[in-house]
Amino acid sequence: MGSIGNILLGVLEQGLAYALMSLGIYITYKILDFPDLTVDGSFPLGAAVSVALLTRGINPFLTLLLSFAAGVVAGILTGIIHVKFKVRDLLSGIIMMTALYTVNLRIAGTANVPIFGMDTIFDNSIVNTIFGGFLSPYKTVIIAFLIVVVSKFLLDFYLNTRSGFLLRAAGENATVVTSLAKDSGFVKIVGLAIANGLVSLGGCVYSQQIRFFDASLGTGTMVIGLASVIIGTNLLKKVTFIKITTTVVIGSIVYKLCVAIAIACGLDSNDLKLVTAALFLLILIISMDRKKKVKKNA
Amino acid sequence: MKKKMLTMVVVVMMILVSVSGCGKKETGKSKVYTIGISQFAQHPSLDNCRKGFLEGLKDEGIVEGKNLKVEYKNAEADTATTNQIAQNFVSKKNDLICSIATPSAQSAYNASLSAKIPVIYTAVTDPVAAKLAKEDGTPSGEVTGTSDKLPVEEQLKMIRRVLPKAKTIGIIYTTSEVNSESAIKEYKAAVKKYGFQLETVGINTISDVPLAVDNLLNKVDCLNNLTDNTVVSALPTVLAKANDKKIPVFGSEVEQVKKGCLASQGIDYVSLGKQTGKMAAKVLKGEKKASELKFEQIKQSKLYINQKVASNLEITIEKEVIDQATEKFDQITK
Repeated sequence: MGSIGNILLGVLEQGLAYALMSLGIYITYKILDFPDLTVDGSFPLGAAVSVALLTRGINPFLTLLLSFAAGVVAGILTGIIHVKFKVRDLLSGIIMMTALYTVNLRIAGTANVPIFGMDTIFDNSIVNTIFGGFLSPYKTVIIAFLIVVVSKFLLDFYLNTRSGFLLRAAGENATVVTSLAKDSGFVKIVGLAIANGLVSLGGCVYSQQIRFFDASLGTGTMVIGLASVIIGTNLLKKVTFIKITTTVVIGSIVYKLCVAIAIACGLDSNDLKLVTAALFLLILIISMDRKKKVKKNA
Repeated sequence: MKKKMLTMVVVVMMILVSVSGCGKKETGKSKVYTIGISQFAQHPSLDNCRKGFLEGLKDEGIVEGKNLKVEYKNAEADTATTNQIAQNFVSKKNDLICSIATPSAQSAYNASLSAKIPVIYTAVTDPVAAKLAKEDGTPSGEVTGTSDKLPVEEQLKMIRRVLPKAKTIGIIYTTSEVNSESAIKEYKAAVKKYGFQLETVGINTISDVPLAVDNLLNKVDCLNNLTDNTVVSALPTVLAKANDKKIPVFGSEVEQVKKGCLASQGIDYVSLGKQTGKMAAKVLKGEKKASELKFEQIKQSKLYINQKVASNLEITIEKEVIDQATEKFDQITK
């Protein structure tokens, strides 16, 4: 495999782990219109849960479910703070993110836990038997891809159920939900729960990929997720035959590709932040214009 | 009304918290020293510093549990927390603050400026760049200690002997860590002398590490670690990716070699801590003020080799080199 191939493989691995997280952010940002900062805490929460379980010798595949469950709990709590205590959306997320920092440290034990040489979802006897020989370098990508595809289809399936329809309605127009005699607050909590479950699942997959947990893993999760969602949904807006969740996954990979290209060009990662911010603003301005036009025409 | 009640409750809680932090000072017959140890992160090398520091004090007759009370706090790699720890130690009027790693040292020195509590630091790579010492090595105030400056030349010499054919060395470093910036400068200046080229990637957060490693591995014959906290925290990722491509990673200290780096011509942090403990003893006993002691460095570096890693990478190291190793490891610790 050539050097370019190697970099691309790394981009795919990273992008797929972050795609799970981006799917969660897609729910909060695009569907619920809720700027949820909980994700900066629930992403490392998934990582903390997974290393805590792996160091105790729990089956790696079980960590996926349990990390998802932990994220669901975090999302429910953010939802309760927002809906029941009437705290503003941004603040509820910030409160939860701050609390989760300590929770993550407690779960993991210390600020940095390596899981080098332990069984992970990418590296255990079953997987290594299936992906022997020439497939071995690709096993991480293939497994991450499978997890993303399954999650994506489950999410698509859910969004087409009754409850999923209400969720989509809650973000667009809460009165619709109320007129159907449903509690829009409850619908929001469900949305936040699923979203943070996905984010936490992303953190779980990511930590097993990089083989360690670190307390600082969550820094900037929200920004990366937003960038992925915005890049994906705007880049592929014209392409009608793929589902929007697919564009989010692609967006996540494109984002990581941009980072890799920048590093390969010798751009300092500090400069990268400014580039990201500028790109961000540009895409937002472009998509804002369209919204305004739509409003005028309506 | 409700809001007022809430404010009251919060204020009362804050007062309680701040009061509970203040302990009584002991007045024993013989002088009992109280020191606070502020450590930046949980990290084997830094733990070794702490161990050595207490051993150094013991050698000078200051023994924990007898005439020494130690309060140890760890900031878990959060700079904001180091400030709180430092202020807490200052408010308790400790006799001395020992701070391990640069951010802790800077916070401790900053907090104790007005309180005139001496600060003894260790594991600060570049005290001058961290503004803890002046250009000539004299302290900026009541603050001194030991530097864990990397023996760059020695390390390069060692890499050349282990990999006679290697051309390019790759280093990943965090742009926000002062220590790494100064180490990179030194490496840049020294590599040519040993016939190497240097490829560096500066990163921002720990999540940049995997992509940075992928990028570097295509251009280099080996990777070399600094004492960069972020990169060392991500060591499992670095090693896994490098092992896949059979590219050796050199460590900057013994703990990294235990975990799977090939070799390191590095510092023994326990002896660095010991040296620091002896300096602290001088200050505690009143023989010298901290401001009268120049910061110190460890002169001799020690060689550590992991033979299990060498056989995994199919690298044969000359017997002469192996014989010089202070310690050899035959396994990779998890």
